[in-house]
Amino acid sequence: MRIRNLTPFRKYSLVVLTVLLLLSALVLMSYRIKQKKGIDFFDAFLMEVCSPVQKGVSFVISSMDGVLQKYLFLIHLQNENTVLKQRIAELQNENHQMKEMALANERMRNLLQFRERMAAPMIGAEVIGQDPSSWFKSITIDKGERHGIQRGMAVISPEGVIGQVLKSAPHYSTVLLITDYNSAIDAIVQRTRARAIVEGKGENRCQLKYLLRTEEVNLGDIVVTSGSGANFPKGLMIGEIQKVEKKGLGVFQYAELAPSVDLTNLEEVFVIPESPMPVFQEEKDQKERKAPLGGRKRK
Amino acid sequence: MRRIALPFLTGILLLTVQTTLLLSLPIHRIRPDLMLIFTLWLVFSYPPLSGGLLAFSLGYLLDLFSGNTFGLYTFSRAALFFALYCFRDHFYLEGFFPQSFLVFISALLEGLLLIILIAIFNPHLLLSYYVSWAKVLLLQSFFTGLISPLLFLLFDKGSAYLLQKKDLKV
Repeated sequence: MRIRNLTPFRKYSLVVLTVLLLLSALVLMSYRIKQKKGIDFFDAFLMEVCSPVQKGVSFVISSMDGVLQKYLFLIHLQNENTVLKQRIAELQNENHQMKEMALANERMRNLLQFRERMAAPMIGAEVIGQDPSSWFKSITIDKGERHGIQRGMAVISPEGVIGQVLKSAPHYSTVLLITDYNSAIDAIVQRTRARAIVEGKGENRCQLKYLLRTEEVNLGDIVVTSGSGANFPKGLMIGEIQKVEKKGLGVFQYAELAPSVDLTNLEEVFVIPESPMPVFQEEKDQKERKAPLGGRKRK
Repeated sequence: MRRIALPFLTGILLLTVQTTLLLSLPIHRIRPDLMLIFTLWLVFSYPPLSGGLLAFSLGYLLDLFSGNTFGLYTFSRAALFFALYCFRDHFYLEGFFPQSFLVFISALLEGLLLIILIAIFNPHLLLSYYVSWAKVLLLQSFFTGLISPLLFLLFDKGSAYLLQKKDLKV
């Protein structure tokens, strides 16, 4: 028997190693819980190393998908040709209707410009991966601190709210989806203005918590952000109420909502880089005009 | 060095597949946990020091890309590695069913451990995660167990080829 085999460390090496690694994991957990802002260098480095691989694979998958779609398209080309000829006749008819719609579109554009005037600046990002586990709901995007993204920022799409930034490395970030159990957003029911907190419920569902029993909410009611939280501007659509229950005699009622965004098929998202209040351009202009006037008065 | 770097790179590759390719399949809800299978393979193929460090690092990597705010996987993967390592000589792992069964049970046990950790750190979410465990994890663990013999074989062949060591076998 070798002498080194008799040393205490050798004898208990597995126990020591187990204890050391598990203790390190616990220390890391405590550190993460206390960590308020951003991520440390090592985390950022690992994300920077792994995310390009994710991005590459995502690109390959989408390209392969495109090729497959084109191949299938060729197979069905003959049938489609016949169908398309029929469609031409229909489309000519529709063309007249479209001219009418163009006029309506003009009116809508004016409304959109109004909307744009109050819109917050946004950073476009591409989704390069989703959560590796089934327990948590998150996505990885290809924009990070270098692009002005920080922890807690709101992430949206044209259809509505997606979530908020959980971790950000220099070029990549992880976004916690609204369906994750750890997600909570201050919200109001659009029709009744009832306040509540939207919490994740997993499986592409959210629940409305702290919704007063006295508030009248119906199936199909739209839930939007209240603007009270620091991250989300007011009025962004979160989802539609799918279930309302008044169990027992509690103060609150239970409601479940389906997010307005299909969170399982996200491709592009927008990050709102600051926490803007919905300030209208006119108000801004007025403020700017007032400032020099005040200056003149003082003179 | 190669014995550490190569499995770590394999871990990154598996993480990438798990977060991209598996999501484009129609089995979105029940996608197998490839990194868990790899960690379990490490139990039977690596010594405790390098294997434990790798399990720890892979858990850390998983935490980094997951919406998990606490860093639970770093702990759970290392704990699972050492728990199984202590009994690794007592497992019979010849053939499809024993391997699948071990992975299935391990996945369920890890889920249970995660629930305990969540109960400690965030008790009000316990019920939600418990429901998730029952609804998703059973199916996911089953499919993870189902494909594990194939992946064990691939890891065996890959390591024998890359590390030129025939003794690394489940």
